[in-house]
Amino acid sequence: MTTPNKLINDLRNLPATVHEVDYRQWGYHLDVLLEAGRVRGFAGMLRAHRFYLVFVSAVHTAPAIEIIYQFACYSRQCRILGRAAVTDNGTMPTISDIYDGANWHERETRDMFGVLFTGHPYLEPLLLPEEEADRKPLLKNGSAVKAADRIRRPNQAGIGTAEPHQGQERDQ
Amino acid sequence: MTLGTKNQDRHSFYLNMGPQHPSTHGVLRVLLEMEGEYILEPEPVIGYGHRMQEKIGESLTWNAFMPNTARIDYLSALMYNHGYVGLIERMTGIEAPRRAEYIRVITSELNRIASHLLWLGAFLLDLGAFTPIMYTFDDREQILDILEDVTGSRLTYCYYRVGGVSRDVDGTFVEGTRAFIRRLRSRFPMYDDLVTNNIIFIKRVKDIAQFTPDMAMRYGATGPILRSTGIGYDIRRNEPYSVYPEFDFDIPVGTTGDCMDVYLVRVREMEQSLRIIEQALDSLPEGPCMTKVPRRLKLPQGDASFSVEAARGELSYYLVSDGSDVPYRLKIRPPSFSNLSLLPELCRNMLLSDLVMALGALDLVIPEIDR
Amino acid sequence: MGEEKKSVLRVHSYAELAHRREESGGLYQPDAAEEQPIIRLDLVENILNLCRANSLWPMTFGLACCAIEMMCLGMARFDMSRYGAEVFRPSPRQCDLMIVAGTVNRKMAPALITLYEQMAAPKWVIAMGNCAISGGPFAVRENYNVVEGVDRLIPVDVHVPGCPPRPEGLLEGILKLQEKMTGTRYPFPQFKPPR
Repeated sequence: MTTPNKLINDLRNLPATVHEVDYRQWGYHLDVLLEAGRVRGFAGMLRAHRFYLVFVSAVHTAPAIEIIYQFACYSRQCRILGRAAVTDNGTMPTISDIYDGANWHERETRDMFGVLFTGHPYLEPLLLPEEEADRKPLLKNGSAVKAADRIRRPNQAGIGTAEPHQGQERDQ
Repeated sequence: MTLGTKNQDRHSFYLNMGPQHPSTHGVLRVLLEMEGEYILEPEPVIGYGHRMQEKIGESLTWNAFMPNTARIDYLSALMYNHGYVGLIERMTGIEAPRRAEYIRVITSELNRIASHLLWLGAFLLDLGAFTPIMYTFDDREQILDILEDVTGSRLTYCYYRVGGVSRDVDGTFVEGTRAFIRRLRSRFPMYDDLVTNNIIFIKRVKDIAQFTPDMAMRYGATGPILRSTGIGYDIRRNEPYSVYPEFDFDIPVGTTGDCMDVYLVRVREMEQSLRIIEQALDSLPEGPCMTKVPRRLKLPQGDASFSVEAARGELSYYLVSDGSDVPYRLKIRPPSFSNLSLLPELCRNMLLSDLVMALGALDLVIPEIDR
Repeated sequence: MGEEKKSVLRVHSYAELAHRREESGGLYQPDAAEEQPIIRLDLVENILNLCRANSLWPMTFGLACCAIEMMCLGMARFDMSRYGAEVFRPSPRQCDLMIVAGTVNRKMAPALITLYEQMAAPKWVIAMGNCAISGGPFAVRENYNVVEGVDRLIPVDVHVPGCPPRPEGLLEGILKLQEKMTGTRYPFPQFKPPR
């Protein structure tokens, strides 16, 4: 078992931007902002720290779709939220070889948002019927898409604009 | 995973199980590559119960989405209620009165027992034992009677509100619940005689479908499946919410992680739930059951997460808000989704009849997985 | 994905049909000609119908929440075997009553039609719950997946509203179906309850 400080240092060395979050109001402890290229390193590190994968999902924001990873731990109370904007061509490296459970979550995210996970062994539609695989129902259209800093906590508002990847909005 | 690559040097064939099959508990479909009676590669195909819950969650105000939470997992509807109101309360800083929290714990635990009782019956029905389901449904109906009196519905409750519960409980509820505790306690020895010590049952479930802690971590499995492997991870204890820290209860764990352990964990969990209910009834505080909540409550900008221990494992809600009263994004993380995703690894090279056991042990609710 | 496996995945040959029927928006009306028997002997028909009405074999077709209430109806307290309808069969070939208990979505619709077509005539359908009747709470503006009413896909005899309906509600639906089949509310051997 590692101390939280060591974990935070490890995360900062990825490198990633780490914020400690007030658990009582927001329900998780660490908010980790990553580049798409660091996601696999992030997952591998948490695997070594014996975290399990809660879910992988996405939020459709401008300028790019953000992939959300949530991890928690069986042995102590620590919930980590990782977020990374997809790359310019709308892809994301898979973590399904590090966490097998991510396989289905990534397939679902592909169904709902059309994000392609590179290196995924079996990126077939999961929830939607095969003939409607390109529907991408959870993408918001037009003016409904909010900029990333509009959905951040106020004290964290600057982060959204300082993202390393200013990918353009994916066409629908 | 080596999906879709048919093994050329073995004589294998495909078998389609579901989406309408009595032992898949709903509309799950499993595509099996078989060799004789043995499964080479099972592949669950889901989505037959997909009901757009996340999309609806993003288009309705948080208040209007409440009834839908009960329909995600109809067997543990109150826990789904609890997660959602807990999330909103956490974001907005509203605190429910203590009496309401106690009522939530009592009704949630009753709901958990009802869910486990249904599982017990259905699991044994999958085995071929028809009689136990009659008994478990008989007990379950008693719970439904109690809950119907306070919530107004039998199955898809919408009882919790942000800031409390919609209706206060009275003496009849307390008396009825106490009577039910006595009744169910007297029924456990009967279930033991009928099922647990039954040699046919033991032979069917012992050493079948063994989960391991490593597998659970890789797939993110939670709930009784995880606890059967010996890891005592329960959100009620590890990430306490509501008033659960005030009660004295054990987390039953197994040792080997086979179907027998899963069965024992669930049965013992019912006993622990009874203990929690009993303590909560003893110390049920007086007072209001609802605080004042503004009619149009805006959620603060930001993202929040809330997890509860549902009957099948960890349920997480993750909400992203843009400052209005309609969530910008609502992610629901049902426990069965991750639990089912380990099926291919769990059931490789297994007999077809044992796959039914494994599916039964996972306690699947398909609309919960598909949302 | 291997081609062979793809063909196994595509067991639902009714996918196109289902989507056509759903998008037409109206109720599905079966061809009147195929419903009529070739020779019609009224007395024999009536006796047969009486027998059929009192020995309905429903299919275990639980789709969502309503399935649990359907199970409750089969169990000790409500006991639908009092009305001769307790023999739940998982195979459509052995059933003459389909209780659509839950939400039908676009992925399930072809399978539903397949199952209905596989049932031997004469066959009846009960749409149980608001989802099966009209899409219920899922008939929203953003709806992209739920079929709004199972009667767009297959002909429905009795609708049982509720979300979910109580077991008594479904029981009433079965009695209504018996009434539809025989023309009387209390078919033999049930009598009116004493006043």
